[in-house]
Amino acid sequence: MGLVARVVEAAGIPTVLVSTGRDLTEQVLPPRTLFVNFPMGNNFGAPSDLDQQRRILYRALTLIEEIDRPGAIVELDEQWPQSFTDKVERTLLAS
Amino acid sequence: MEPVRYVDLLNQRYRQQGFPPYKWTINTETPLTAPSKPLAESTVSMLTSGGVSHCSMPAWNPDARNDFRLDGVDRDATGDDFAVNDSYYDTEDATNDVNCVFPVDRLRELALDGRVGAVAPRLWSGFMGRIYSRTRVVEESAPALVEELRRDEVDLFLLAPA
Repeated sequence: MGLVARVVEAAGIPTVLVSTGRDLTEQVLPPRTLFVNFPMGNNFGAPSDLDQQRRILYRALTLIEEIDRPGAIVELDEQWPQSFTDKVERTLLAS
Repeated sequence: MEPVRYVDLLNQRYRQQGFPPYKWTINTETPLTAPSKPLAESTVSMLTSGGVSHCSMPAWNPDARNDFRLDGVDRDATGDDFAVNDSYYDTEDATNDVNCVFPVDRLRELALDGRVGAVAPRLWSGFMGRIYSRTRVVEESAPALVEELRRDEVDLFLLAPA
């Protein structure tokens, strides 16, 4: 997806990627990234938390106007309520 | 908590499966295009790779490898009309509320509020599962998507990988 963002951006359409994998994003280097330290698949937060989903989506879109350094990664200032390392490892290592 | 170290985890997974070390794409430069108009006047589209399918389309293969299908989703589709099939992440939350990974309802609300100019005619789901042909992504699939975005006069594009 970072590769797709780079192609779209290079074609003249500004992009922002909402990432849950900071190390993956640092490697591929999309043009602009909002890093959300939430579980993969919860890029916009928790189910039925409409305010949080709207907040994260809007934050990501406003980054397009704010970021003027290629490859910048801005971290969302919100925490997931519990550790999700075990959940991620279970899913990824089983796939 | 510290960010999950996905690269280490995936390297471990590939080693367990007996695959040679994965050759990660590591870029040191990236393009940047300045927006041509304010967000409140911009037409926005978005793409998820989270195995999200509209009910009018077939479900994704949750174990997909090199699946280059790309679905255009009507901007009026509501969050209740999607299925999520992807074995590479925990899909429970996205299944209960697709807006966790593909915020179709929230994007429409931002446009109704006037904070976003408009939602583009089509939103996108694709590039899901494992894709091993990076050349095909960069030289064929992504440029084809660019053509569709131009057709829809998209000003800003958001990507939500999963």
